[in-house]
Amino acid sequence: MTSWLARARDALAFEWTKLQSVRSNRWTLAAAVIVTLGVTVAIAESLASTPANRPAPFDTLTASFLGYAEYTVLPVTVLGVLVFTSEYASGLIRTTFTAVPRRGAVLAAKAVVTGAAALVVGEVLAVTCFLLTQAIVAGRHGGLSLSHPGVPGAIAAVGLALAACAAVGVAAGAIVRHTAGAIAAAITVVYLLALLCMFLPGPWNTRLGRFTMPFAAYQVASLHQRAGLLPPAISVVVLVAWPAIALLAAAAVLRRRDA
Amino acid sequence: MSPAAAIPLLVVVVGFVAGCLTAVVRDGPPRYLPKWAWALVICAVVPWGGVAYLAFGRARRPGIPLETLAPVQPHDPGGPPATAPAAPPAARRRPPAGPVTIEVSGLTKHFGAVLAVDGLSFAVQPGKVTGFLGPNGAGKTTTMRVILGLDSPTGGTALIAGRRYRDIIRPLHEVGSLLDATAVHRGRTAWFHLLALARSNGIGPPRVHEVLRMTGLEAVAGRRVGEFSLGMKQRLGIAAALIADPAVLLLDEPVNGLDLEGVRWIRQLLTHLAAEGRTVLVSSHLMSEMAMIADHLIIIGRGRLLADTPAAAFVSRARRDVLVKSPRAAELAALVTARGATAGPDDSGGLAITGMDAPGIGELAAAHGIAVHELVPRHASLEDAYLDLTSGSADYHFEPAEGVAVR
Repeated sequence: MTSWLARARDALAFEWTKLQSVRSNRWTLAAAVIVTLGVTVAIAESLASTPANRPAPFDTLTASFLGYAEYTVLPVTVLGVLVFTSEYASGLIRTTFTAVPRRGAVLAAKAVVTGAAALVVGEVLAVTCFLLTQAIVAGRHGGLSLSHPGVPGAIAAVGLALAACAAVGVAAGAIVRHTAGAIAAAITVVYLLALLCMFLPGPWNTRLGRFTMPFAAYQVASLHQRAGLLPPAISVVVLVAWPAIALLAAAAVLRRRDA
Repeated sequence: MSPAAAIPLLVVVVGFVAGCLTAVVRDGPPRYLPKWAWALVICAVVPWGGVAYLAFGRARRPGIPLETLAPVQPHDPGGPPATAPAAPPAARRRPPAGPVTIEVSGLTKHFGAVLAVDGLSFAVQPGKVTGFLGPNGAGKTTTMRVILGLDSPTGGTALIAGRRYRDIIRPLHEVGSLLDATAVHRGRTAWFHLLALARSNGIGPPRVHEVLRMTGLEAVAGRRVGEFSLGMKQRLGIAAALIADPAVLLLDEPVNGLDLEGVRWIRQLLTHLAAEGRTVLVSSHLMSEMAMIADHLIIIGRGRLLADTPAAAFVSRARRDVLVKSPRAAELAALVTARGATAGPDDSGGLAITGMDAPGIGELAAAHGIAVHELVPRHASLEDAYLDLTSGSADYHFEPAEGVAVR
């Protein structure tokens, strides 16, 4: 038992040291944060300038996270992909597997470390985006407070969604190995499946779409439930299920493939 | 292993189908689905085939068992090493205290239709530098990868102190390896590269300082590896291999691309490490490098063992003769032939005599009053001996065009 714990700690320390020691990772995150804040402010301003008698296109809770949904999720997903593909590209992956021969442990450690970093960034950014947006729209529409019913849960889930996207990226990187292909695969899961579903006719767009990550994230980040989508609790399960399934597939592939 | 691989995919497929079915049952079938919708459905469904291929498609060929690793058992014909008795694997938690051998037995590795390693068996003993030689494509790197648990063998085993590499806990403490010195992240500093490796096996920063000092990289520890020259990367690779002070060292072409000073440094280091009782396996495709470093030679070609011999014995086995130039060469040839040696014309116009040493020939000539202008004992170089051995097994070699016509 202790040896199991010690090995888990080793693997996590290994991956954390590698993640934080590459300068481009920090720059990517910093750029994502800055761009997200800028876009969030722009969206909030445009929302604040819509006439009060016309219904706003989004509720103010959802509007807080529109910038985040693209300008944070995309770079963080790519960061997750690079955690594996950069090692495959340089050949470092063989050194990694000789240091930690259990490939499942390597995958788990990478997913946990990247996911945890994404979770911290995601939660901090979610709170910041929420407070910024509410401060800007407060004059016209009446901003929400952090203690408004549904808001704490939404902020927690939005941060979690970022960790889920990072984990999907890690799994895609492990399965596909090449950066470009892995990014395409991860973006397919994180964005494009939902886009495909939206093109479906009739009730089928939401009927299938509600099982995709963007629909689920939309549902947990809204004040009012949309009909036809899954309830927020189930949506959180959907958000977690995608990376879980992807990581299981990655573990199976890693274990039986030559490095 | 393969049934486990099916589980996540089954979950996805079954979940998707179940979701669609419940939707159809509850809400009735869709009244119509236009052609473009079908196209979209196909687009969404087809990629799963690719995922399924990645999981199940590779290396699944008829006749090749997926997992043929035998359970851990000693293979050395001379009996298992004293320090690693054939205890059950669970009992081997700590690295063995004494010398450690590498045992490869009956190792076979297919890559699709290509047979990279073909029934290879050898043992690497502690206390000396063992050279692992073979032409390009002979299977050296593949063998080392299998020993390190990176590739799964198609058949046979590769054991370190009686265990598979994958079963070793904190393996860097037992086996240090360098497969490719350029396999480092360009954006990471040498310090963090080594620190990450150290932490992966529960080692602290002081040891990182130590290996940096040993390899002379202290001054550049804070620089990113992308700025390193090949020689510095090789040193970094050696530092990484030594990070946990292992009893076994596996180095793949460590002197490739090094200058003379670098080669000498590696030679001294390896000799020193072997003298401490470590097991050192160094691969190369150049005999000249190995001649300077290795005490023992394992030579392979086309994945098969060609020689497993002490380096000194290999040298003495090499062809040797004496070049003689004399105005009465024909007489001398007759004399030496009468004494059981063989004499033939040499390219340089002299006489090449094998089976007699130079003093013998000189005295024979003197006794018969034959003047000798040149008397040169010649050793075929190690290189020649190596080429003799491997010429039949090189994957690619040049053949003169006439050779084809004559045959």
